[in-house]
Amino acid sequence: MNREDNKIVAFCCEHSAYQAANKAGRTRLYYPDNVRIIRVPCAGRVDVQHILKAFEKGAAGVLVMGCQEGACQHLTGSTRAKERVKYAESLLKEVGIDGGEVRMVNLAPDMAQRFIREVKEMAEKIEGR
Amino acid sequence: MQVRIGIFICDCGKSLSNIDFTKVRERAEKFQDVVYVDLSSSLCLEEGQKNMLSAIREPDINRVVIAGCSSELKENVFGKALEELGLNYNFLSLANIREQCSWTHEGDVTDKALELIRMAANKARFLQPVEKNYIPVNKEVLVVGGGFSGMKSALELSGLGLRTTLLEAVLGGKLGEFESFYGIEATPEEMLSSMRKAVAGDENIKVLTSAEVTKVEGQAGDFTVSIGRGEEKVCQSFGAIIFATGYMTEILPQDFQLKPDVNIISQRKLVEMLQAPGEFERRPRTIGFVLDVSNENSRLPVLSTLNNALAVKKRLGSEVYVFCKSLKVDSEGVEKLYREARERGVVFLKFEERPRISKEDGRVRVEARDLLLGEEVTLLCDFLVAEEKVLPPEGTEALSSMLNIGTDSGGFYQDENVHLYPVASERKGIFFVGGCKGDSDFTRISMDISSAAMSIYKLLCPGKVMVEVEKVKVESERCRACLTCVRVCPHGAIQMVRVDTEKEVAKIYDLACDGCGICAAICPAKAIRFEGYADEQILAEVEAIGESL
Repeated sequence: MNREDNKIVAFCCEHSAYQAANKAGRTRLYYPDNVRIIRVPCAGRVDVQHILKAFEKGAAGVLVMGCQEGACQHLTGSTRAKERVKYAESLLKEVGIDGGEVRMVNLAPDMAQRFIREVKEMAEKIEGR
Repeated sequence: MQVRIGIFICDCGKSLSNIDFTKVRERAEKFQDVVYVDLSSSLCLEEGQKNMLSAIREPDINRVVIAGCSSELKENVFGKALEELGLNYNFLSLANIREQCSWTHEGDVTDKALELIRMAANKARFLQPVEKNYIPVNKEVLVVGGGFSGMKSALELSGLGLRTTLLEAVLGGKLGEFESFYGIEATPEEMLSSMRKAVAGDENIKVLTSAEVTKVEGQAGDFTVSIGRGEEKVCQSFGAIIFATGYMTEILPQDFQLKPDVNIISQRKLVEMLQAPGEFERRPRTIGFVLDVSNENSRLPVLSTLNNALAVKKRLGSEVYVFCKSLKVDSEGVEKLYREARERGVVFLKFEERPRISKEDGRVRVEARDLLLGEEVTLLCDFLVAEEKVLPPEGTEALSSMLNIGTDSGGFYQDENVHLYPVASERKGIFFVGGCKGDSDFTRISMDISSAAMSIYKLLCPGKVMVEVEKVKVESERCRACLTCVRVCPHGAIQMVRVDTEKEVAKIYDLACDGCGICAAICPAKAIRFEGYADEQILAEVEAIGESL
């Protein structure tokens, strides 16, 4: 993929964000079509290497989306994901991948609007670079 | 085995009009390892599936990609269909081109649909079979705690035909803190004695008194519990455990400026006095209750206060004053109870600042500013029933660290996580009911007990449970026994097992595993493989994004 395509890779927890994305679809709420959703069983499954791989392949942004903290299906999953996102961010800075954006987002399965807002924000951010 | 992918695209009854399916079909045929592409309008219907299955049979397809609606709708159905063909259900990869593509973008989305299909196809190339198998479970259940919740759990389980061991220092619990229950004719004392009798007469229930759990090992379906009874120690195996360890109450001196004594009493003391009126030197003229000092918005203190205040009115006819901030009347029937208490003459005074309590001539003086009157109120009462702080029972900390189960900020067992349902804990096969979950009331507790009993029945009754064998698996040659996974597993499903005289490796218990994959992500040696979400599968999806179509 090309960094100019402004692709966003979204790792979505199937208990929350994946369902939020589906709800957005069912209610016909539109969002930018450069997002690629990858289903994971829990945000805690997302490893730093997955995030880095996305950037290596040319993604402009990565979203890790999991349950809200304290309401995570697997209790500590979204907290661990947050730590890993932070770590990935520091690695990106260190190797100087040109401003790759990575963010952790916590949402509930019915937060379609919030899902879209986060995706749009990310899209605007990378477009504005 | 050569990977041969068949792609089945569903246009959802021709409703996905912003995708050019002819183009999708043409391009998809050129993806790596793809041998067959078919377009259908009704994969979710019997007819569509029949066509799909006959197509899979013909050109020897061994991985199936279905592009259509979201996975939660039909994944199981498709998996079962594959199993019928003798193909492993895990050889299925879905591309969501409906909810996450066609429906949610404006304009032509053919390219995105193609990309999603290629992501799924790329993942499919790495899929490995997952076997399903039955594992036996022990049908005995252990109930810890002999209060209302414990006894009721044991009775319900026995009613469902499960043999139960009830373990407790003494049978009884906290029911004695209530003089009566509003809306229930039997007094708590009668309820307790009838329950005791039922427990004693039930041949499915074995009661172990003055015993305690010292150690819990093993996993759902096969817990090994060490039970200590004085000097004696026994080990027994159980399939599931219910903890009904209750709660503890205490009048906190810092809340009441004065220590509890003859005039400042607890609910239990009041009930004892009411049941043996000889205890009073003379009939008390005024009795005050104070609420919302130690725990605001708590149900149990409100319930006991209202029930007991009404009982005082009925039995002694004293003047009753309740100092409160905000009564929590959301339990079943409590609004009515509150009304009746008012009608009978119980006076409720609403304070904003904590009442000042002092002693005067052997009576208790309570001063507070009533919000509704807008005036200072001074009350001299013969007895002040102090609100007790609801606390987790002694030993909760030791128990939770032994079980590896967390508690909330108040020290009670987790009940706020919406994903855990009312009674389940993070570990499969371990349930919590009653007061040990914190604030509750009788309707809720009774419902929780039934719900826990039914969950256990569902888990244990067939005597065996179908599990996905080694869906998440530790590759023992690579495991360096660093214990990271054992520590991080939120469901306590990983334990160390000895493989030979020199080496111990981590083992994941299929029944206890909930499939989050946290261990697979965190393992420093990358020794854990989560089939379906293995590293190479996730990376294959990432790699497929944005490649030229």
